[in-house]
Amino acid sequence: MTSGTSNGKAITNKKTFSRETAVRIDIQADPSIIWALLTNAHDFPRWNSTVISIEGSIAPGEKIRLKAQLDPKRTFKLTILEFEPETRLEWGDSMGKRRYSLKPIGPNLTNFSMVEKIGGPLFPLFAKMIPSFDQAFEQFAHDLKMEAETISKTK
Amino acid sequence: MTLEEFTIAFESVKPQLKSYLLRITASVEDTEDLVQDAFIRASQKLDDFRAESTLKTWIFTIASNLAKDNLRAKKRWPESVTDICREKALADPDYFPEIAKIMESAPHTAFEIKEHIVFCLTCIAKSLPLEQQICLFLKEIYEFRVSEIAAIMQTTEAMVKYHLHTGRSKMVLIYEGRCALIHKQGSCHQCSELNGIFNPKQDFEIEKNKIEFAKKANDPDREKLLDLRLKIMKEIDPFNSKGAPLQLHHIQYNRTAMENYSEKNER
Repeated sequence: MTSGTSNGKAITNKKTFSRETAVRIDIQADPSIIWALLTNAHDFPRWNSTVISIEGSIAPGEKIRLKAQLDPKRTFKLTILEFEPETRLEWGDSMGKRRYSLKPIGPNLTNFSMVEKIGGPLFPLFAKMIPSFDQAFEQFAHDLKMEAETISKTK
Repeated sequence: MTLEEFTIAFESVKPQLKSYLLRITASVEDTEDLVQDAFIRASQKLDDFRAESTLKTWIFTIASNLAKDNLRAKKRWPESVTDICREKALADPDYFPEIAKIMESAPHTAFEIKEHIVFCLTCIAKSLPLEQQICLFLKEIYEFRVSEIAAIMQTTEAMVKYHLHTGRSKMVLIYEGRCALIHKQGSCHQCSELNGIFNPKQDFEIEKNKIEFAKKANDPDREKLLDLRLKIMKEIDPFNSKGAPLQLHHIQYNRTAMENYSEKNER
């Protein structure tokens, strides 16, 4: 898996049969707040400018329909593959998987990372048609940090 | 604490508890039942009260658990609740005669715009997920601290903050899209409609401008407008305000209308 520093900058590793994009950022908030934001499907578009809509329930084994700004005409039908509260969430389809990880690193301080790996035997054929995820990943991490830290400051 | 001491203390909390439960359930009957059940449950558990929280927080915890059980199977209301109920009332031949009867039997009833704002807020807040509605009301209307709400909701302070923030954001968005008091393009004009019915001699514009958040409608800080709206709710006791008989009637009417609406849409 791609690693990186927690500066909110996306890193992409390209290989012949796959591509992996990752972003990592420190958020001054309890993991439960970040987890609540990441698992409340209908609330996503309110705080996350990269998402148009998510239909369905983000829960173990459930299927969701995601529309993203990166490719607004397309609806991604994804399955929730991993769901470990306040720790790890993964969704994906036959093309790829996206994993969100949360790690408490201090009082009210959480390290958030998001990694997406796409690929397969036919990947070289359509690799050039898939846009870069870097900007969307950085925006996602930034939006999440802003929203979680705003909530955390509630008195 | 003896049962007698507890009974006296419970009576002092009861007006706020009743108001809270009414706003959560939108039913006078359920409120009365829940208050009674909360009293019985708390009296039976009196030995468990360790004064780790205030008695008010403890009573609200018991009552909130009972209310959550009561509401668990019930559907949340749609954001368009006031439109749905308005249509139902206008098509109902008994609606206005019922109102006339209430006004005759309680001649001092005054359903001013503020009463409608509170009624509207009660209904719109029922479109929030229950946890968000409860956190919002406990914090902004009944003045509990985040730590106390966490105890009442049996959750963490972080989750209370999440429910509060998302609940507030959603309320701001709903009002922004609907309320003609703060937005010229708002689709809901029920305040002016109802004021015309209940106070036909009043000039709506003059009355509207007596309300602080309507006066500040252009303030870009929409959260502040929500706070002003919530402040009006805090100041009105739904069981003892001037408009109480009508307020309670409207709430009960909408609750019944929404139950019928949910049933119809489930078929």
